[in-house]
Amino acid sequence: MISPFEPKKTGFTGFRTKLLVAMMLVVSGATALALFVAQRSVAENVRRDFEREFQNELTTLLSTQQVRRAALVERCRALARKPRIHAALEDNAIELLYPSARDELLDLMQGDDSDPMGQNPYAFHAVFYRFLDVSGTVISPPDSRDVGSLSPAEEAQLASPENLQAPQIGYLLRKAADRSGSITEVMTVPIISSETGQTIAALVIGFDPIDPFGRHAGTPIKTGIWVGSQLYLTELAPTARAAIVRQLRERLPGLLSLETSFPVSIDGAPWLLFYRLINPGSTFPPAYEICIYPLSETAARQQRLFWQFAGAGVLLLTGAFAASRFLSIRLSVPVEKLAVDSETNRAQREWAEIALELTNEELLRSARFSANASHQLKTPVTVLRAGLEELLAGEKILPEVREEIATLVHQTFRLTSIIEDLLLLSRMDAGRLQLELEPLNLTQLIESWLDDLGTLPDELHLKIETDLPPALYIKGEKRYTSLILQNLLENARKYNRVGGLIRVAVRAEGPRAILTVGNTAVPIPPESQPHIFERFHRGSAGENVPGHGLGLNLAKELARLHQGDLRLNRSDSMWTEFEAIFCVSSSPPPRPTA
Amino acid sequence: MNARPSRFYLLLFLAAVPLPLARSAAVVEGHIALSRQPTAPVMSKRYEIVTKGGILSTNPPIAVVYLEGTFPRPATLPVLQMAQKDLLFQPMLLPVRAGSTVEFPNLDDTYHNIFSYSPAKRFDLGRYRQDERPIPTIVFDQPGLVVLRCDIHEHMRGLILVLDTPYFVQTAPDGRYRLEGLPAGNFVLKVWLDSKTTLERPVELRDGETLHADFP
Repeated sequence: MISPFEPKKTGFTGFRTKLLVAMMLVVSGATALALFVAQRSVAENVRRDFEREFQNELTTLLSTQQVRRAALVERCRALARKPRIHAALEDNAIELLYPSARDELLDLMQGDDSDPMGQNPYAFHAVFYRFLDVSGTVISPPDSRDVGSLSPAEEAQLASPENLQAPQIGYLLRKAADRSGSITEVMTVPIISSETGQTIAALVIGFDPIDPFGRHAGTPIKTGIWVGSQLYLTELAPTARAAIVRQLRERLPGLLSLETSFPVSIDGAPWLLFYRLINPGSTFPPAYEICIYPLSETAARQQRLFWQFAGAGVLLLTGAFAASRFLSIRLSVPVEKLAVDSETNRAQREWAEIALELTNEELLRSARFSANASHQLKTPVTVLRAGLEELLAGEKILPEVREEIATLVHQTFRLTSIIEDLLLLSRMDAGRLQLELEPLNLTQLIESWLDDLGTLPDELHLKIETDLPPALYIKGEKRYTSLILQNLLENARKYNRVGGLIRVAVRAEGPRAILTVGNTAVPIPPESQPHIFERFHRGSAGENVPGHGLGLNLAKELARLHQGDLRLNRSDSMWTEFEAIFCVSSSPPPRPTA
Repeated sequence: MNARPSRFYLLLFLAAVPLPLARSAAVVEGHIALSRQPTAPVMSKRYEIVTKGGILSTNPPIAVVYLEGTFPRPATLPVLQMAQKDLLFQPMLLPVRAGSTVEFPNLDDTYHNIFSYSPAKRFDLGRYRQDERPIPTIVFDQPGLVVLRCDIHEHMRGLILVLDTPYFVQTAPDGRYRLEGLPAGNFVLKVWLDSKTTLERPVELRDGETLHADFP
């Protein structure tokens, strides 16, 4: 039968590997995408955090500076309103100007007494002060020790008539004895007479620039002042300062905007440099607040983040690999089973197809054989009958011989009948018999056949009963329907006992027309009953009964072609009954059949 | 001090003319055309020093009329007062004879620091409170206008007009004045209008006569 099927192991392994690879590809892709997006987003967040932090610190710093400068300006304005200073200027007592101012500025010049160590970075500490007259010239102090010493060149930097117009902030470049540069934050405020409403002088005060974060740990921002192409950022080493100065000078032509920021490199480390013009519109040289913020920590944070994500990716991929492998094995099990089953099925189907083909070929061969045989047989039988009839027509034949020949002629008719049946069967077997079904009056057909039956020599003295409806139309082709009727009626006659009964009844049951032909024949043995419709089966019929074992088979096949059936209802010692089923024709015949 | 100006000025007038009124003495009277300052209606009428273009004057304007000349200085002179009340000098304008002593009582609840950088008298009283005794005093021995300021209250201004004559009087708010008990002779009659403006005209006074002099 079927050879046991051996599934190809390599094919399954390949499928499993492919599944694993596909899953890994999908998982890796998804992981990579997710990690990429997450890393980008986190990096963006880090960058934004940094910017916010920087902005916050910068804002704090700048607002501190602004507040401090505003406080300085306000302090200077308060000084410029001092009645003694006004009295000295307005009441024609110019010689009292500096002495009065000396008293007023005593705390500023000496520093805050409450902060003797200079711990408070926000304390104002003035290093000098001067008055400008209405022409903008410095009013010489009587004693420069009280007012802070300035070189004539430095004093000249203070003199400007525009300093009487509005408060100014500037930076005075000072060279110490050791040639180290320093700057002094200079505030000028005009002194406006309360009597005339006009500017009568200006007060110029120099302060030590303060570094609001300079003495405060906790912020990485470093601040300084850029003025006159010099950077004053005491916290940085000279080399680092020089590096910034170089990079600032490179951008000098662009250093026109009020504020902006750009990255700088100090000793190879990245920093962000922010600058802002402190004194827009001032008569003093433009001074820029410089803030530098180290980016190295942010860069390190980004780097750390990248490695964290990479590690997470590796871990995820390892886990995904394990999970994929497990899943691929689990998933491939039913598929392998399916494949085995499918292979088995295929083998079985192939075998069945081969068997079917063989059967078909056998059928065809048998049908062909029947056709050939009947065709080849028909001709010699006709020739034989013609010869015998010629002999019979001869006049010199003895009556005994004539009877013999007549018997032979009868046998040729039997032979012809068998051959025709075989021909019909072979055509049916070959599927070449197409019935043209049309409405057919079954009652009429039966009656005509019963009439024919009545004309036969009645040796058995049979009695015929009928129970037929007036007219019942069925679907059938007259020639083949007649063959069925002929077979049944002839069988009922020839297998009947002497003085027996034949009963023919037709009834309609819904769409079915049921014809029963019963007779009082010798019962068909029960073991033969299943085989009576088989070809060349003659059952227990004696040899003296004419027949060739094809009639019932033919009738059943024809009944089926009529979309009906033929079956044995009963067969016992009392009664044998066949039942033929036809389809009732719903439409009446176009014209009554004869 | 009396808050009512009329009685206050009457007292001042009496204080400024200490000599017994002699029938025989000359009298100068007249009217000074005082500049009308466009002032908003004031609820409580105060005198204060106003500055306009660097010129200090009183508001409402009051002029000081005095007779310039050389007069012997008496051995003692009355002590005058210029108080600080409600963050103002009261009176705002005080004409004094040279050599007079002026007290500066602080009638406010806060510190005051009266000082002057005027060439006629430079002084600085320092900070003092209401209850400090003795009341700070300054002797004004040089004629001239002394501008008083407070170091604490920058808006405060007071004027002391130090004159080298015992014959002076402040005009009434409507500009009328009357100088009595004057000696006979040729003098210069001066009118101090503000820190930059002093009008003058020569006058010849005779005993028992009343001279009418209007400015301008």
